[in-house]
Amino acid sequence: MATRIPTTLACLLLATAAQAEDLTIPTAIGDVTVASGPETIAVLDAAAIDTISALGVTVDAVPAMPPLSYLSDVFETAQPAGSLFEPDFEALAVLGPDLIIAGGRSSTQVEPLSEIAPTIDMTIWGEDMIAQAQDRIAAYGTIFKQEAMAAELSAALDARLADAVAAAEGQGEALILLTNGGNVSAYGDDSRFGWLHSALNLPEAYPDLTAETHGEAVSFEFIAEVNPDWILVIDRAAAIGQDGEAAAATLDNPLVASTTAAQEGQIIYLSSAPLYLAGGGVQSMMLTMDEIIAGFAD
Amino acid sequence: MTLRFGIILALAALVVASLSIGAASLWSGGFDAAWLIAVSRFPRTAAALLTGAGLALAGVIMQQSVQNRLVEPGLTGTPEAATLGLLAVTLIAPGIVIFGKMTIAAASALAGTFGFLALSRFVPRHDPMLLPLVGIIYGGILGAVGLWFAWNADLLQFVGIAMLGDFSGVMQGRYELLWIIAALSGVLFLIADRITILGLGEDYARSLGLNYFQTQMLGLVIVAITVAVVVVTVGSMPFVGLIVPNLISRWRGDNIRANLWVVALTGAALVLASDILGRVVRYPYEIPAATIFAVFGAAVFLWLLYAPPRRKPQLDGNRRKPLLGRDRRKPQMDSNRKGAA
Repeated sequence: MATRIPTTLACLLLATAAQAEDLTIPTAIGDVTVASGPETIAVLDAAAIDTISALGVTVDAVPAMPPLSYLSDVFETAQPAGSLFEPDFEALAVLGPDLIIAGGRSSTQVEPLSEIAPTIDMTIWGEDMIAQAQDRIAAYGTIFKQEAMAAELSAALDARLADAVAAAEGQGEALILLTNGGNVSAYGDDSRFGWLHSALNLPEAYPDLTAETHGEAVSFEFIAEVNPDWILVIDRAAAIGQDGEAAAATLDNPLVASTTAAQEGQIIYLSSAPLYLAGGGVQSMMLTMDEIIAGFAD
Repeated sequence: MTLRFGIILALAALVVASLSIGAASLWSGGFDAAWLIAVSRFPRTAAALLTGAGLALAGVIMQQSVQNRLVEPGLTGTPEAATLGLLAVTLIAPGIVIFGKMTIAAASALAGTFGFLALSRFVPRHDPMLLPLVGIIYGGILGAVGLWFAWNADLLQFVGIAMLGDFSGVMQGRYELLWIIAALSGVLFLIADRITILGLGEDYARSLGLNYFQTQMLGLVIVAITVAVVVVTVGSMPFVGLIVPNLISRWRGDNIRANLWVVALTGAALVLASDILGRVVRYPYEIPAATIFAVFGAAVFLWLLYAPPRRKPQLDGNRRKPLLGRDRRKPQMDSNRKGAA
């Protein structure tokens, strides 16, 4: 408490000095007006937590969700506010945030949440994920008055993207697979992982794959028939920590072994938690692109 | 004879279709056809056949053992226990080879089923509905424990997918446990008569000199192993153990020895047909065979519930028990029944 009082005082001073102004920012459901410089914020979407904490802004409440190792200190200090799908309305009302940021899995809750505090839907989805992520970085920069930091992050993301595009160039076609136990689904360029194709200019090994939230269930024969040059693997079951091992066991079979990707050692196991849970967050995207750059470089 | 011929012909046609339909093209160059069949198509076909036959036979045993036609092998807590085992392996040693995973889950399923058997000793036998009810509650408790772990580890989706009977992941090296079903079916054919007597109820069975408890145990152990092996290899397949025995019994009566092969082949054919359909409907993507079968099974189940009985019960004066397990008589009730209805 002793440390809390000076901070609160400082905040009050700052707040009166800076004076919150109304801003219009782009969100997933169009332009919305919010007050700038919110003090207490609840963030209910992993991608938003990722980007906002990258801007050096303290998040006060987060949903309980599977551990994302690179965000662990944010999750330790913030207080819990329900689950990813179902916010804890009472906890949020007690907290009395100045702004609630929802998105993705909690996007359906925007309206009820608006009763508690101004709520914005910052869902990031689909093909032009990088552009949306950049929009979000800029918007958060304006809201939290961290424009300089936001510009830096933006530039870093662009630079990393350029590296990734260069790494992927001329490498051939790729197939994105998500393993879940012994089963496999394939994802196309307009899916939740589609930016790996569209942003990196990485051609699809099977271009007919259409948008499906949970991918298309495929057989190993399908993988063998498509015969991709590269396979990008996301292990759904490993969202609990141990990346890669179980997926490798699932894909260790003669049909997958017959593909170019397997024969050339071109199967990249991506860290599933950042990509699957916080896809669109700036740190998550940087991490994934690092893994892809490293994978293509080998 | 035509019946036997028809079923075998249909099964052969399905097997040929299953061997030739798949996401990879068999004849257009890319793959060595023999290799593809050996690695992928044959295992998948065999897995569907063994699953269908095994679950249908398990259904017969269950229904005879508890003398209740609405009981399913899935009502003994076995699928839930198998899921618990799978979850435990996934949480503790996710990198373990798939065969190891299957063995651990099967062992856990067996343990769960023995738990049910132990519990069943305390259930009064005078009301046949009591045991399945106890099974449902027991399975529900095991399932809730599994769900709690899955929820905490964010594995709900994993459990959902692992439990949904699906042959898309089946290939050489991933289904061989299912051959245990073939061995179990052999045992079942040996004790078929005892299972028939089991269906008469405890008092009759005992007075006929049957060791009732031992026979029931043996039958339920066969059920447990069959279901465990299927659950860990392909996931749970609802309705197979329920509708196939009922269909056959409706059609041919209750002589188990005479019916076993029909039950096994019909179960095998229906599951294989579901799998083939699942491969074709959204080609080259897959729809789980259990989904297809559930749609079909639900319709058949409703029909079984509401359709008038095919045969009159055993009061029928000129009904002669077939001696050698062959009931070749055509059902003679049709004209009568139509008149009565």
